[in-house]
Amino acid sequence: MDHVHDDTNQDTPAASDRSSGVDGVRVQGLSKRFGPVTAVESASFRIKRGEIVGMLGHNGAGKTTTMRMICGVLPPTSGRVEVAGFDIVSQRRKAAARIGYLPESSPLYPEMRVREYLDFRARLYDVDDAGAAIESAMTRCGLEAASSRLIGQLSRGYRQRVGLAATILHDPNVLVLDEATSGLDPLQVIEVRRLIEELAADRTILISTHVLSEVETICDRIILFARGRVVAEGDLDTLRAQSKSGAAASLEDVFVELTAQAFMEAAP
Amino acid sequence: MSRIGVIAAREFRSFFLLPSGYVVGALFLLANGIVFLSSIFLPGQPATLRGVFAFDVIILLFLCPAITMRAVCEERRQGTWELLAASPAGSGAFILGKFVASMGYLVVLLLPTLVLVLLLELYGRPDPGEIAAGYLGLLLVGSVYLASGVLASTVTASQTIAYLLTVFFWILVGLGRSALPVWLGAEAWELLAPWDPFLRMQDFTIGLVDTSSLVYFVSLTGLFLAASVVIVETERCA
Repeated sequence: MDHVHDDTNQDTPAASDRSSGVDGVRVQGLSKRFGPVTAVESASFRIKRGEIVGMLGHNGAGKTTTMRMICGVLPPTSGRVEVAGFDIVSQRRKAAARIGYLPESSPLYPEMRVREYLDFRARLYDVDDAGAAIESAMTRCGLEAASSRLIGQLSRGYRQRVGLAATILHDPNVLVLDEATSGLDPLQVIEVRRLIEELAADRTILISTHVLSEVETICDRIILFARGRVVAEGDLDTLRAQSKSGAAASLEDVFVELTAQAFMEAAP
Repeated sequence: MSRIGVIAAREFRSFFLLPSGYVVGALFLLANGIVFLSSIFLPGQPATLRGVFAFDVIILLFLCPAITMRAVCEERRQGTWELLAASPAGSGAFILGKFVASMGYLVVLLLPTLVLVLLLELYGRPDPGEIAAGYLGLLLVGSVYLASGVLASTVTASQTIAYLLTVFFWILVGLGRSALPVWLGAEAWELLAPWDPFLRMQDFTIGLVDTSSLVYFVSLTGLFLAASVVIVETERCA
């Protein structure tokens, strides 16, 4: 079901995007410098339609900055991002309408009620049948019982669900979820992961995480970041093959080895 | 609804979801009531709201920054700014939405004061043109205060600093009115006087609607808002 306008004059997504084989996300030579600090340096990768890709890396490795650039929150210093075939800088509105972005810690307006907030987000994205889209998103995220509650009074897990529900309202082709499960209790983590897997059926999903097991459980592919660079990319087997530890290595071993390598190479 | 409208509607509603919105409203009404009862609503006084309008130009200087101080800083603090930046709404819609909402709140703030007009109508013959000019003037001077408040909230992460920046900016402008003629001499001040917002406001309070003042207030508002958009954009690009 597509809740958004199917009008080529509008900047809202057309239902055909998903079936026409348009790429999910294409990142080419992406760099971001904040003054003298280089946060991300010439990152390049592609995420195909329907893939769940995990971004792994230490704190400060450049994951969040990369995600912000993919979503158009930060313009890149150099390089390009294409989302569903649209350039995030020159075709910002079209690209933005096709992305659902959930920043770290799921920012929300505490004084609003759940349904009211979802209504605001639906209107912000010009969703056609906002009522139906909100109902469907609330059902998917298990929010029916909380629809009239104040967001400020919700538990962490529920806030995360509200954030996710708002992210999928406009039926985006690409979901970008920054640390979607951090700070949740184990049951909530399982719930959110299940939800992400459900959503992946017809979407491209990019998630960042510190939790290695999460990547192993739900991601098709891994992009490993260290010091602002993509140091390895591929499924777990490919990464194992790249590391010295061999085929029996755990993701943890591979992660430690490959990021350590990156630090060694960067050292003078 | 346009994206400016969507952002404005959310912001406008939030004024009434938070206690500060009611506190500002109540204080404004109370102050207006006191001025009205103590200096206008007396036997033998002319049926005019000039005193109230002149007082409101000052009191709005302290209330308007309280309306706008949350505008941009709070979105930054909460992180919701990132959601808006990722949405198809641009920085222009964001700033204009904030401004439109605060103007809406200013209108709500002024509406109950119409009771004072009603009282004057009941007991005297006030000049409707003069009163309309006074309200127009309050809206114009209010829009300048609010736009400057929005600008202040884009340059700092702290609501308190945003409030103080706006209030002190206007206090400095007010002090300049008495200091500059002394420092620069009366002739130089003659050249600067047309830029004095308080002088222009005085025209409205006595019922004079001057087109140049209208253009002046609208342009000044536009200037503050444009500067806010530029700051938000450059920050995004930093």
